Amino acid sequence: MSTSQSIAAAGGFAAIPEKNLRLFWKAYEERYDEVSARAAEELLALPEFAAFANLISEEESAARQKASRLRLAHAIDTGSWEEYAEELISQGEMYGEMSISFVSWYKAISVVRVVILPHLVEAYGSSGDDLISAVLGMDAFFDVAMATIGTSYLLRKEATIMVQQDAIRELSTPVLPLREGMLILPVVGVVDSHRAHQLTQGLLEAIRSSRATVAVVDITGVPSVDSKVANHFIQTVEAAKLMGTVVILTGLSPAIAKALVTLGVDLTKLNTVGDLRGGVEEAERLLGYRVNQIGA
Amino acid sequence: MAVPILRQGDILIVTLQGDLGDAEWAKLTDDLLDRIAERPTRHAVLDLSVVDVLDSFACRTIVGLTRMVSLRGPTMIVAGIRPSVAFAMVQLGALLPGVATALDLDHAMALMAHG
Repeated sequence: MSTSQSIAAAGGFAAIPEKNLRLFWKAYEERYDEVSARAAEELLALPEFAAFANLISEEESAARQKASRLRLAHAIDTGSWEEYAEELISQGEMYGEMSISFVSWYKAISVVRVVILPHLVEAYGSSGDDLISAVLGMDAFFDVAMATIGTSYLLRKEATIMVQQDAIRELSTPVLPLREGMLILPVVGVVDSHRAHQLTQGLLEAIRSSRATVAVVDITGVPSVDSKVANHFIQTVEAAKLMGTVVILTGLSPAIAKALVTLGVDLTKLNTVGDLRGGVEEAERLLGYRVNQIGA
Repeated sequence: MAVPILRQGDILIVTLQGDLGDAEWAKLTDDLLDRIAERPTRHAVLDLSVVDVLDSFACRTIVGLTRMVSLRGPTMIVAGIRPSVAFAMVQLGALLPGVATALDLDHAMALMAHG
């Protein structure tokens, strides 16, 4: 399965001068297990990593390490990097899913570089040219590897955010027509200024499209309101009034009522009723409806 | 662009055909006040349903116009304010106190019929 992402990453690896890469890999491969062990030690020193290292058995991680080594050796031998790139991509996705912070995994992987460097000096210290080539090869290799893991880490995070945003948008603003000329807007959850703006827009558009003359806004499910949001509510009520619609606000909790008065928000312009039931009854009265219980 | 002012019995109806410039707003105010004088008038309706944008001058003119009309006798109804325009008016402080508002011309007619 080659995605555009893995093809791009493979291209990045393939662009590294082969001589540099081979010199780096020769020294790296000789000490591969030692370097991996040192790196793992450094990784485990990070609390976030230690937490998830416990979830993977030792045999499993050894097997993974071996497979990864073979894949890398194969890629350097043949120059086809897709498989190795895909491994890095899934690694990045895993970090993203485990909500390990960008900084800590970046630091953890950089540790590998620090561990290898003395071995490169040991192997090529006698020849300056070879040492420079090997270091350049290492740097280029890790740059591409980091970029690959980083990209997939961010894509994973972005995907999560997108899903959550969609969920929030859907939950945010249902405007329900209850009767001819009557709308209900139940508001649940914390209202910040962005959401308040969304609510306002949704309500005013719905008033226009459904020709409602009374709208009941129920904020029973709102735990708290700050002065900015309270003022936004008041502006919404005034804007609706300019359009020819009366807004009835219901379900102000004691805490909100107290907070609004303490904040000094001018509530005289608001038409408030204790609960949703009372609000709907008031709206029916304004619209001239009379509800009779049959047989009562 | 002159704004047509239609008379229907004791009702005057002003339907804007587009966004107006400052001079046109001033002329509309004068024309409407003149038309009120010409015959007994109970209601005046200002239909803003095609107006997309109102600047602060237009907002102030509308507030002034509604007050002047009310002083001359007729009750004033402003109809068809769009959501975006309504919100802009609130932010500019043009709240039209004492003026009846209606969703559209139809709603305005219903309001007049009921009182």
